[in-house]
Amino acid sequence: MTQELIAPPADLAAQVGRACAGLPDVDPARVLAAVRGAADGVQAREQAVIEAAALVAAEPGYSRVAARLLGAHIADEAAAEGVTTFAESVAAAYAQGLLNEETAAFVAGNAAALNALADDANDDRFEYFGLRTLYDRYLLRHPSTRRVLERPQHFWLRVAAGLSSTVAEVAELYALLGALSYLPSSPTLFNSGARRPQLSSCFLLDSPRDELESIYDRYAQVARLSKYAGGIGISWTKIRSRGSLIRGTNGHSNGIVPWLRTLDSSVAAVNQGGRRKGAACVYLEPWHADVEEFLELRDNTGEDARRTHNLNLANWIPDEFMRRVESDAAWSLFDPKEVPELADLWGDEFDAAYRAAEAEGRYVRQVPARRLYGRMMRTLAETGNGWMTFKDAANRACNQTAEPGNVVHLSNLCTEILEVTSDGETAVCNLGSVNLAAHVVLPNGGRPPARPGPGDAADGIDWAKLRRTVRTAVRFLDRTIDRGFYPTSEAAAANAKWRPVGLGAMGLADVFFKLRLPFDSPEARALSTRIAEEIALAAYGASADLAAEHGTLPAYGQTRTARGQLHVDHFPDATPVLRDEWTALRERVAAVGLRNSLLVAIAPTATIASIAGCYECIEPQVSNLFKRETLSGEFLQINGYLVADLKRLGLWTPAVREAVKRANGSVQGIADLPAELRELYRTAWELPQRALIDMAAARTPYIDQGHSLNLFMETPTIGKLSSMYAYAWKQGLKTTYYLRSRPATRIAQTTVAAAAPAASPVPDAEAIACSLENPEACEACQ
Amino acid sequence: MLLDPGMDLTLRPMRYPDFYERYRAAIRNTWTVEEVDLASDLADLARLTPEELHLVNRLVAFFATGDSIVANNLVLNLYKHVNAPEARLYLSRQLFEEAVHVQFYLTLLDTYLPDADERARAFAAVEHIPSIREKAEFCFRWIGSIDSLDRLESAAGRRAFLLNLICFAACIEGLFFYGAFAYVYWLRSRGLLNGLASGTNWVFRDESMHMEFAFSVVDTVRAEEPELFDDELAGQVTRMLEEAVETELAFARDLCGDGLPGMSADAMRGYLEYVADQRLARLGMPVRYGSANPFGFMELQDVQELSNFFERRVSAYQIGVEGSVAFDEAF
Repeated sequence: MTQELIAPPADLAAQVGRACAGLPDVDPARVLAAVRGAADGVQAREQAVIEAAALVAAEPGYSRVAARLLGAHIADEAAAEGVTTFAESVAAAYAQGLLNEETAAFVAGNAAALNALADDANDDRFEYFGLRTLYDRYLLRHPSTRRVLERPQHFWLRVAAGLSSTVAEVAELYALLGALSYLPSSPTLFNSGARRPQLSSCFLLDSPRDELESIYDRYAQVARLSKYAGGIGISWTKIRSRGSLIRGTNGHSNGIVPWLRTLDSSVAAVNQGGRRKGAACVYLEPWHADVEEFLELRDNTGEDARRTHNLNLANWIPDEFMRRVESDAAWSLFDPKEVPELADLWGDEFDAAYRAAEAEGRYVRQVPARRLYGRMMRTLAETGNGWMTFKDAANRACNQTAEPGNVVHLSNLCTEILEVTSDGETAVCNLGSVNLAAHVVLPNGGRPPARPGPGDAADGIDWAKLRRTVRTAVRFLDRTIDRGFYPTSEAAAANAKWRPVGLGAMGLADVFFKLRLPFDSPEARALSTRIAEEIALAAYGASADLAAEHGTLPAYGQTRTARGQLHVDHFPDATPVLRDEWTALRERVAAVGLRNSLLVAIAPTATIASIAGCYECIEPQVSNLFKRETLSGEFLQINGYLVADLKRLGLWTPAVREAVKRANGSVQGIADLPAELRELYRTAWELPQRALIDMAAARTPYIDQGHSLNLFMETPTIGKLSSMYAYAWKQGLKTTYYLRSRPATRIAQTTVAAAAPAASPVPDAEAIACSLENPEACEACQ
Repeated sequence: MLLDPGMDLTLRPMRYPDFYERYRAAIRNTWTVEEVDLASDLADLARLTPEELHLVNRLVAFFATGDSIVANNLVLNLYKHVNAPEARLYLSRQLFEEAVHVQFYLTLLDTYLPDADERARAFAAVEHIPSIREKAEFCFRWIGSIDSLDRLESAAGRRAFLLNLICFAACIEGLFFYGAFAYVYWLRSRGLLNGLASGTNWVFRDESMHMEFAFSVVDTVRAEEPELFDDELAGQVTRMLEEAVETELAFARDLCGDGLPGMSADAMRGYLEYVADQRLARLGMPVRYGSANPFGFMELQDVQELSNFFERRVSAYQIGVEGSVAFDEAF
């Protein structure tokens, strides 16, 4: 020993011991052994938290140990600010100017009743990553000491109180939040009860008009919306293309790229209250003459003056383009200044206008449609960006597009919101997600079946509980519309008029793991569809009740629902299970209308799923073992269902752990694992993507907005991608989201034992013939 | 054979397609310094303790010159003696990557150290900071060790070259850099200097590939000329690694002083010994230390990341995608 080690304080041993209580397979000594050199008890506990978190790869139980230690740290920190009860927390935050007067007065007036609601036992529901995320970014902090002013249960109560008028309402919402069975989106969690309660997740802005003032006005709108933690979608389709004449100066336009560069810088400059960076997605229709430059904006090579490193990109694709790709026809590119009508049309009217403009020779140039499509695929593979979203499918079934002139011009930052926009209307959406994992009932007395099998899917979900959750969720989502602060008048006007909300779901993969359904099985697809149907039905029912109570949305007359059409009616192939319930709903809606024009949208839920400790939205697991990199550090995530199975089989050994790590989270190479478990624990990379698309398509009739559907391909090629996205379009998907691929090379793993040198790398004629370069030539490996 | 003197220019039939595949894979992982966002680091730097700041300053001072030294050896020795055009393709690509790393650390220092005098001092660290100078001298000694070798005619010459190659792969890229990366990820585990860590993720990925390429050259030579790999060579490699561990440990003492929360020279010793053993095992030689990895946060570096765009830029995408539009391929 060359250095003197300061022994950890004795109290720490007791704390770690308490944190390990009741958890099998965790050892306080392992956590304590790594604590060294700490100056004081607080620092020692911080180290213990980090060390416990680092042991998760060996034993997932340490996640709970770390969470409990962190929970103790949070409670101490709040106590140092004089906060031990909910009412004290709200009073302290209000005194620092963080909360609004109405919420503070409501809590002060009902202090005893609200304090009594706080159930600290709920703290034990958190995994480490979830609690860490709350602590780092969500809990209110003192502006100068930076210590937290609320504990986790105070936080949930504050979110509920900010949306409530009575103690009973707080209790109703808190029951869901504390149990992690429903969570509103991050802006609502950040800002409920705040002085400026910006509660909305998404803002969709129509393209600026093709003039300087309008463009700069949009920048300002985007900045104001970003500042309060909103994600931005903005179309740029109406701005003239490169080479277009500028009459005022008799010069020629440089096209859209310089404008988007400015937008890029503006978005990067706006930091969302220090909690996360601003983010925006730009939508462009593929007939815009600058589309090829648009697709290069995220390339990391080439002239940096023509790159935007912060913007996300999406293609807003009319069916006509996909038809031309299919038939290998030419595609005409237009300057929107010359053909301004195209951006505001969809469906047959778009097709007719497009062909007429083409016949009149008004295009800038023509390209083979397949070449442009191939370019889109390359952008997806190289950057994950350039999302494929389908204009006609998005408009056709949208409840807001019954009248001409009401057009969905784009989706949002996460491709799940589909609402009409115009120059004066910025679409807004308030989101929340049901944690499906919290609604599973295991048929055989709570124990998972020993062997995977389809079982009775209908028995896997507590449908009554799910409906109750949805009804509460919708009531409070509707409440956010009225309680929210809107950073621009365009957003306030549109949200008051249409009152859309987006109720989604998360933890679908947990449901399948619990019920032992392989993600691509017909049973999984049927259950997923049933879940979507139940959510839609309950959500519409709740909105109809709200309409009966408060009246319909102001623009109800402009909706398809007012014309007797529900979203599901646009899908003749849909086969609802709950026929009687739909009939009853139709009668009810015909009588009282709806309070909300749109109700269902499945958002990515990246952060709130972390808080809830479930898998993201409707996604399959990406890996059985992966890490998350966030602003607050790196965190290991391990599939707890898999670990439980491995332990049961006596396979949770260092050798198996290393094998999983070496295989980047795949269990396909673990021969001792029964085949049906290997099938169950396939990762997104190992699932046929066709199954993901089919599952999404089956769900679509019940999703009146959209869903954030990521697709996964380990090593993408243009051929595979073009086949996949053509299939997604044909299946009627409205949008797709990221294409996820994997790095071409990896780091050498530091903590996995080095492999001995390869037996014989010496090239000989046979080896050369069998090289990766000419796989066709080799018969030996087939 | 791979180490036969000369300048082979024949790519078909290709003798070492594995090297060519490595070259292509490297191209798919192209990244640029402009993609790294260092902005949040400045706020972190402002709240570091003096001890932490000392560590960070020393660390970036090492990074400032480390990659240039590796590039020098690549040009002066590796490119000259590894005689296969496909291997030289890889080395050309590696040279570009070293240049990107140099540019990254240049940008990093320019960002971290706004004061021109401080910057100049940091770049001159290799001359006036003993713990960094010693590491550089270790490198220069091995670069110089085969100065006089123009052609690898004899077994002794080939062994001398192998030692140079192994030194750069196992000791410099594989130990000095791995040590430096550990400090970066230790900071990262405490939520500090995310910008440095995100650039380091990419540097780490590149360095891993460089090391693996060098080891596969060693594997190839071993298969072609097994007689070169005698006990004496193994002994020399072990002594070289011992020296590298001690040199790096002196650097660790300089960085850590009396220890920082979760990081100390003692813990670093265990880590370096563990890494050195890994290198020996990869070379098929007996391990020397039998130490365990003390750094839980390094476990995280072996696991693939999943970022969402609100947080950081996703660093996992590929470039150089192939194929043409089709409608009937499996997906």
